[in-house]
Amino acid sequence: MEESFGDLKGCQKTYQKTALSQYFAPQKIEEALEILSKYGEEIKIIAGGTDLLVQYYDRLYEINNWLDLKNIIELKKIRISKNQMEIGATVTHSQLENSEDIKKYFPILSQAAADIGSPQIRNRGTVGGNIVNASPAGDLLPPLMAYDAQFKLLSVQKEELIPAEEFFVGPKQTIIKPDQLLTQVILPLPYEKTYDSWIKIGKRRALAIATITLALVVKMAEDNKTIKEARACLGSVAPTPIQIKEIRERMIGKNFNQLDFNQLGQMVEDKISPIDDIRGTREYRKDVAKEIMINALEEVYSSWWRSYK
Amino acid sequence: MTKLIIELTINGKKKKVETTPSTRLLDLIRDDLHLTGTKEGCGKGECGACTVIMNGELVASCLVLAPQADGAVITTIEGVGDDKGLDPVQEAFIESGAIQCGFCTPGMILAAKKMLEENLHPTEEEIKRGISGNLCRCTGYQKIFDAIRLAADRLSSRDGGRGEEDA
Repeated sequence: MEESFGDLKGCQKTYQKTALSQYFAPQKIEEALEILSKYGEEIKIIAGGTDLLVQYYDRLYEINNWLDLKNIIELKKIRISKNQMEIGATVTHSQLENSEDIKKYFPILSQAAADIGSPQIRNRGTVGGNIVNASPAGDLLPPLMAYDAQFKLLSVQKEELIPAEEFFVGPKQTIIKPDQLLTQVILPLPYEKTYDSWIKIGKRRALAIATITLALVVKMAEDNKTIKEARACLGSVAPTPIQIKEIRERMIGKNFNQLDFNQLGQMVEDKISPIDDIRGTREYRKDVAKEIMINALEEVYSSWWRSYK
Repeated sequence: MTKLIIELTINGKKKKVETTPSTRLLDLIRDDLHLTGTKEGCGKGECGACTVIMNGELVASCLVLAPQADGAVITTIEGVGDDKGLDPVQEAFIESGAIQCGFCTPGMILAAKKMLEENLHPTEEEIKRGISGNLCRCTGYQKIFDAIRLAADRLSSRDGGRGEEDA
């Protein structure tokens, strides 16, 4: 593969659908960006392959050229830098599940990672893959959105930081361009008292594509009484993972005892637009969305109450 | 089709294999290395029949491209146990009757072995989670749980009871 990297010059001209396929596994991000700028749409980036290869075998599309990120060590790191957490794009679900820092600062991201697939899938699948695959049911996406994640996109020309909420535009559709590489997920470290809840509903515990998911993150003001920030994000209820902004507006500035959980649950039910599919009907999803929102609020409330006492 | 050569260590032996960019590790193991203990079930990473241990981690070999395994250290079911005898996990599966058609068994044993390497005193729940990526279509799960429990007990007593304190 090192050898084929040397063949890069002039490849673009001779490339055809039927032509020799190329497999690149560079060690540096810069090399990967070079390759992307030359091949653009004619190359597919592969990390864990747990989504991509299933789609490829189903022949949803042809892939002739591969850009494998496995040798880029930089992308496999989880680190804290100043007041933010930087998660490399090829950090696996197992790493997220087991990282002490993630468990400490972003517990429901760790829990969501633990709910993905099976050991085999968690050991290979990556956070970056979950993001760019952009499934409406992607398990990590609601927690990332609820924690106010930003995605770092690099190309040869420039570096962009895109908030999670602006990244997804439809089922399996994002704003990422063919010459861009998602290199990092950046999460602001919470300095406030934070309470969160993750709920995934699926047909079974392992290897279930979510029927509906909810990530709720509530941050408290210094008095630990007033809600300073609240984000409720859901998966599998719309073309993309979504935040219910009305929840935020309703909760900020309030104390828990000023909130009607039933009403907030109803608000979630009213604001989502799920479809009927093999995993659940629209009606079912609407009913369940309300119930899990109430459950999440109760969980957040009781962990707040335990710490407040 | 583009050919490329990859090098990997499989069951302790170094191998150089000519393959293509889109060959699955599963096919390389079965067709090129003739290690047919690794099975293909669903081909989508859901059944675990193709499970192998790659660089110390349980993976579904149907969801790994051969060049992704370049430089990797891989253990298949053929690498479990040695000339002297079977692995304790294999013995426990036989004694517990944890095999019906046998198709899931290589993957089950590798998943069980990997789990026990990390946790010699698994709870029922942890055993279930450890093999949650492996389906048994004969549905002989109870005997598989029994086998893993038996293997865990034997391995932990062989361990001189070292793990007992944190049990």
